Amino acid sequence: MKNITITALATIAIITFAFSQHSGGVYKTNTGNISFFSHTPVEDIAAENHKVKTAFSSANGKLQFSVLIKDFEFEKALMQEHFNENYMESTKYPKATFSGTIENIDAVKVTTDGTYTSKVSGKLTMKDVTKEVSTSATFTVKGGVVNAKAVFNVNPADYNVKIPRTVINKISDNIKISINADYAHQH
Amino acid sequence: MKRPLILVLSLLVLGAIFFVYTSFNKKHTDVATADVLQELSARELFASFDASEEEATQKYAEQVITVSGLLLHRDLSNDQEPQIILEGNGDDGFIRCGFKEEYLQNAMDLTDGDEVKVKGLCKGFNDAGDLDLLADRDVVLSNCILIALD
Repeated sequence: MKNITITALATIAIITFAFSQHSGGVYKTNTGNISFFSHTPVEDIAAENHKVKTAFSSANGKLQFSVLIKDFEFEKALMQEHFNENYMESTKYPKATFSGTIENIDAVKVTTDGTYTSKVSGKLTMKDVTKEVSTSATFTVKGGVVNAKAVFNVNPADYNVKIPRTVINKISDNIKISINADYAHQH
Repeated sequence: MKRPLILVLSLLVLGAIFFVYTSFNKKHTDVATADVLQELSARELFASFDASEEEATQKYAEQVITVSGLLLHRDLSNDQEPQIILEGNGDDGFIRCGFKEEYLQNAMDLTDGDEVKVKGLCKGFNDAGDLDLLADRDVVLSNCILIALD
């Protein structure tokens, strides 16, 4: 009788564990990286942020980001100041957010080591302007951590970023945004 | 008459060159030597942003402040910027302090549950609003250094 009870409890535990793995969960990090790069013949401009808050649901593919604009760090302090004060008006618009979907989430096996790709699409909001963006993302699962990498481009003009005519040849209208985040399962 | 004019013009040009040069090569805020706007507890800082993000951003963003509080845990998941998390409101609110890579050892030496004091550059409030997967709310500090407790 005792053996049957133990076997039954063990079976329930295994099924519950397996169900919890397959039914998905939330994978999250507060230390994701976003960098951007603007290239023109006159000047290259780059900045990085290492405190990006992002999460996705492995059950339904929902994907979200929230990033503080003021936390982008530039090599030159003056560029950083201009970026915040003149272009992004980051005191008035302190965050950029993304809310979207990993379209082929079923192909991303979060419990099996490997590399998977999926299209990601959703709404990017900066300076109170929301636009649809989409790109291809690579998910690398290793030891329970899901690393996601993606690259897409934005035109500052689409997000109401006004570039003065005097510096227009120094700032690209096709800025490359790179994402690199290590997600861990939330218990 | 001509000579003083040339001298004044030369000085103006030199001044302009100096101004442009120093502006262009302006240094980032050195937190270690910068004056502190305010010294406050982690709970006071969080409460300030929680009450009004707009007012607190106006007051603290890009300012060097000193924050003391309970170390909940160290987040070393990003090797480019080790971070520590202080208790903000005992629930969903935190103070997230980022250090430069060279201070990794300082972060490693801390123990969860320690009372710590941090000097850093306030960057604002990462409250993702209605994004339901990102429910925790962080006041963010960068370029932090640890300060000895009084």
